Amino acid sequence: MKQSGTTALLQGAVQDLASRVASALPGGGHAPPADTSAGGGPRGDLELAAARLLGADLVLPSVLQRTAPAEDLLALLRRTLDAFPPRPRAAPTVLWSHWGMRRALRLVDVSAPGPDESRAQPGVDWIADAPWPLLTHQLAVLAPLALPATLPAEDCAVARVARERTLDVSRGFVRAIRRRDWQQAAGAGRWLAVSEHVPATLGLDAGLDFVELMGGADPRVYLQVRAARLLRARAFV
Amino acid sequence: MASPENILDEGLVLDIEVEAALDPAEPDGVYRDSRQCAALALSSGTTNLLLSPPTPRPKKG
Amino acid sequence: MTATLLRQVEGAALGWLSRNRDRFALGTDALTSDGSVNATWKPLGELAQVCSSLRVYIPRSDPLHARVRDLLAFAWRETEQGELLVRLQRAEPFATYPLEVYAAFASAGLRHHGFEEAAAALSRTRGRQLTEQDPTRRLGVVMAQRHSGFGRHDERLDERLDEIVRRTWLGGLPEPWTFERSAGYALTHVVFHLTDWGRGGPGLPSDLAAYLATWLPAWLTTCLEAGMWDLGCELLAVAASLPGPPEEAVPVRDAWAAIADARLDSGALPEEAGAGEADAEDPGDASPFARCYHSTLMAAFAAGLTAGQGGSR
Repeated sequence: MKQSGTTALLQGAVQDLASRVASALPGGGHAPPADTSAGGGPRGDLELAAARLLGADLVLPSVLQRTAPAEDLLALLRRTLDAFPPRPRAAPTVLWSHWGMRRALRLVDVSAPGPDESRAQPGVDWIADAPWPLLTHQLAVLAPLALPATLPAEDCAVARVARERTLDVSRGFVRAIRRRDWQQAAGAGRWLAVSEHVPATLGLDAGLDFVELMGGADPRVYLQVRAARLLRARAFV
Repeated sequence: MASPENILDEGLVLDIEVEAALDPAEPDGVYRDSRQCAALALSSGTTNLLLSPPTPRPKKG
Repeated sequence: MTATLLRQVEGAALGWLSRNRDRFALGTDALTSDGSVNATWKPLGELAQVCSSLRVYIPRSDPLHARVRDLLAFAWRETEQGELLVRLQRAEPFATYPLEVYAAFASAGLRHHGFEEAAAALSRTRGRQLTEQDPTRRLGVVMAQRHSGFGRHDERLDERLDEIVRRTWLGGLPEPWTFERSAGYALTHVVFHLTDWGRGGPGLPSDLAAYLATWLPAWLTTCLEAGMWDLGCELLAVAASLPGPPEEAVPVRDAWAAIADARLDSGALPEEAGAGEADAEDPGDASPFARCYHSTLMAAFAAGLTAGQGGSR
């Protein structure tokens, strides 16, 4: 996985976490064995970093099944939110992924009402009229925000853009596969899974199968494909 | 043994990595197309479409 | 701005083709049993086809029209006004490529009566109907028969065409993410055959046209990102052949900027990025002409069609 600047150690920690989350999704599943060479779990700050990267998906199984998350995951989510307050001039994806984590916390922890400003959403100017390749790439980075439209949570401006530009995201999905960028393809596929009017000729289900076949050895890709299938099948409470 | 300064440096490096990974650049595309099977081409030239594809040449190296 | 770019690309490409037209000459091995069809009849037929189409698109008042007309006349002279095609047909009566090459000339009004008579007779055999060919190639042969003066009055032509088209990759409306190079060249040719290389023809079924409008942007963008200039030009020609106003999602301006940028100083367009310059260290490498002629023809073709699309000519 060619991410700018992430070391193997951090990647491994994220993949471990992604494996764990994927296993907890309905249907269980055979998440690919994560690299456990660290043995005994990552040190504290590495775990936080990994959790920050996985973002809202940390508690995705709970969000979809309306169950309470494991205590340690919930605690990890809270600690991660505290450990990484977003700088005001951070990139939009940084701001939005943090917002996504706050929303996730609100969804799974009724005991944490949270102040109103935690609901304030960042802007979407940077993608609203972006060319479809950029739009798709950025949406894929923010795949954890792709949740059912029927979820009892405030509407997400990023999701509105994604749903308004379904045709463009479909094209982006095709482009990602052509480039063999499985992470992007899986993320785009997840957005399409919660969108209406996806072109019938796209063959989204077969496409998700294909992405899993080609890229599913990476637990992060695997997690997104599993999530996409569940969302598409409306397999949530 | 990790000194306090070492731990601080590691934490800073990790923060930078996290920030970069949250706003990643798109990786370069990896392109590979199916290779033509010259051995399967019939001698009547059925695979040689007029005005399409350029005649395949053996790759160098 | 795009109009200027188009003109530059078209003009440079036709200039290169004119200066290098002797490379399209048939030579002595055009009829020998061990001569290479791909090095002789294929390039000549392609030159004739592109010029035949551009002659329709470029107004007579445009200096480029004369270039195209001269290239077409040159190509026809190379066939000795069709006589060499007759000899080719007698040498290989069951091959379809002589007919496919001939059709490019016939569609421009350059005909040889004897060739057509023989071709019509040969096409009536069961063997011809059963010739094993990819559906896209078969489509081209059926259209070539039409251009060559027979098969035109076939009342079931549309039905026949539809049946063949549905057996092609494009005709089956496949998942667009299964696109790759070979599928790309097949789909462009289905469109070229059905639209008679930009001149109309039977046209595209509406579901095919809609499917293309939806997915062409994705394929074109990724081809250009991969530096596949030759296929990129063919896809641009497809874009220009779609009915209706130009689809906004097709990145036409970016595409032409990339194509213009990829040209060599000579005005030729290399087939792919990184395949441009002659490799002096490798004597076995194909000549610069062989590496460029197809993509340069396609650049001229696509530019001509695109320029004619908005009525800007």
